[in-house]
Amino acid sequence: MKKSVVMLLSLVIVTALVLAGCGGQSAEKRDYYKVGVITSLSGSEAYGGNVTRRGYELWSETVNKKGGIKVGEKSYQVKLIFADDQSDPNAGADAAQRMITSENVDFILGPYTSGVTMAVAPILEKYKIPMITGSAESPLIWRQKFKYTFGTIPAVDLTGSTPISTLAKDVQPAPKTIAILGVNDTFSKSVAEAFKAAAEKEGLQVVKYDIVPAGTDFTPLISAIKGMNPDILAVGGHEKEHMEIIKASKSLGLMPKVFLMHYGITTPDFIKNLGKDSDFVMGATVWTPSLVYKDDVFGSNKEYVEAARIRYGTMPDYTEAGCAVTGEIFAAALAKINAPPALTEEQREKLAKALEEVKLDNTLYGPIKFATEGAWYHNNTGLKALTIQLMKGEQVIVGPKDVKEKDPVYPVPAMSSR
Amino acid sequence: MELMLQTLINGLLIGGIFIMIAVGFSLAFGVMDIIDFAVGEWVMLGAFAAYWIQALLKIDPLLMLPAIFLLFGAIGYGFQPVLQKVINIKHRSAALMALAFTFGLSTFFRGSALTLWGFNNRNITTFLSEQNINVFGITLPALRCVATITAVAVTVAFMLFLNKTRTGMAIRAAAENKTVAGLMGIDGTQVSRLVYAMYAALTGMAGVFIGAIFSVNPDMGLRYTAFAFFVVVVGGMGSLSGAIVAGLLLGLLASFVSVYVGGSYIFLILFLFLFSMLIFLPKGVLGKGV
Repeated sequence: MKKSVVMLLSLVIVTALVLAGCGGQSAEKRDYYKVGVITSLSGSEAYGGNVTRRGYELWSETVNKKGGIKVGEKSYQVKLIFADDQSDPNAGADAAQRMITSENVDFILGPYTSGVTMAVAPILEKYKIPMITGSAESPLIWRQKFKYTFGTIPAVDLTGSTPISTLAKDVQPAPKTIAILGVNDTFSKSVAEAFKAAAEKEGLQVVKYDIVPAGTDFTPLISAIKGMNPDILAVGGHEKEHMEIIKASKSLGLMPKVFLMHYGITTPDFIKNLGKDSDFVMGATVWTPSLVYKDDVFGSNKEYVEAARIRYGTMPDYTEAGCAVTGEIFAAALAKINAPPALTEEQREKLAKALEEVKLDNTLYGPIKFATEGAWYHNNTGLKALTIQLMKGEQVIVGPKDVKEKDPVYPVPAMSSR
Repeated sequence: MELMLQTLINGLLIGGIFIMIAVGFSLAFGVMDIIDFAVGEWVMLGAFAAYWIQALLKIDPLLMLPAIFLLFGAIGYGFQPVLQKVINIKHRSAALMALAFTFGLSTFFRGSALTLWGFNNRNITTFLSEQNINVFGITLPALRCVATITAVAVTVAFMLFLNKTRTGMAIRAAAENKTVAGLMGIDGTQVSRLVYAMYAALTGMAGVFIGAIFSVNPDMGLRYTAFAFFVVVVGGMGSLSGAIVAGLLLGLLASFVSVYVGGSYIFLILFLFLFSMLIFLPKGVLGKGV
């Protein structure tokens, strides 16, 4: 045959195949939900990313054992599809895009870091895929008013003031000075800003406020801070930086009356690596393993904690728990709109609206209700912030006054004397 | 005044550790003409070696420093021929390919560490971890002092070795001109292997100290690759004395900027300094680079 005829024929065949392939997408039939998970499985935040992975994984395993998510008369199993953001917002956005376009996920369980959450959110708006992050805490996320992004943990500007309040009001002698350090990432910077705002409001003098790049050597800063002799050293960062600051402080002989650190002191590694040096560090949380709540998937908070401890060998912290509860919220919303897998774009739009209307009173995390207006749009703002202090490796609630389990220890004993 | 002194000392102490990394890195470049992108990962491996020694054998890693030095030396010696094969490829861009190879190596090491040892942050404690020395009101962390003293001792030993022994002379000759050195009867292959072995040993040892001072995790190496480049460019490629000065300079700069300007400006000022060096003093701060 003539060359041009062959070309034309192959073009027609290829086009037909492509169209057939494309057409199949919207008519996909599945009897299980495809749940995308974007988190830090490698890179500098791999530790925290795995905290979230444990939370999401335990939920998916537990709910599958019970038959799956119940929508209408049938129950549907869930299958987690993981994407690694490599602890980098750009890589996270790429990974999210690839996962969405190649896997056709029904909904997404969200990233560990606020930075990746902010990078992924616009992509979710574009593809209309609802996501709940069980971890991100920066208020900057909610101010952008993304329609498809939700979060279970109240933003740090709502929770960060609580430990400062406890220290300003509930301990004697009341602290007068505070030094604040923050690592330069979306979350840690928000924490430092929240601490600063709260400290100024309570009349504390902020003797040093410094935002430093990730991986900074803290020794020169600690030396400078030692000279100012602050009552409180407050740090916004992740567990690695907190560990290094405690080590640097110990090696330089800096012992403020209390260390206040967020986020990471509730993770097992912090306590394991520092041993006795981790004791008496204060932090903020919205959940502890000791709180009493009923739960539809796990039975109760206590049973969830036990299941997590047996499955992973470590106690869950408030981020792991915050992730474990995200699936339940989706399940409630899916049942509401009666949407079995696979979800069409229209159903996903309805799902996002349904998430706004979901109001759960009985979950392992406490009450869940996403705000639908204001600066904390789509954030679960109803949870009460607690001040905790590590005592012998346990998280003890020491504030606010009406819910404390024990009195806060202040000033804390010197590390060298423990 | 006290703060300034403390900042100065802190800078010198951390600079000492950078020197350990830079000296080996600079020499490897001088002799093998290879820029090893995996330098930070050797640091990471050294830190993990120390961690596992402590975890499994319950021995203080500082006591095992000589053993780690020899271990990494042996690994470097054994590994160098692989690297040499890549450098020897008869290709226009052999140097570039060697660069890409070490870059791939760096990614491989990082990924393997994450896969084998997991994502947890590890801590190394030594008998020196909690000690500090008080001199004239300045607090010196004992661990950093020992690290710097070791760095100085090792560098001095190195310089003596290079200048006072036959093998040292052979290495210097090969670094200057490999072809002519070969004509003089110096086995370029052996020299390269020896140099790479020392580089790996020094960097691994630095890793032990860094792991003890900071923390151990698979991702820790990247910073030190960047710092190694900084020190080598500022000190002059291939110049040992330049590497020493640059290492101290890096430590001092980081320390002073941290305290007097603000933590957020560290990298800005460091790289502005680097760029100025490249423009005004391309042969390094002592003018001895290539």
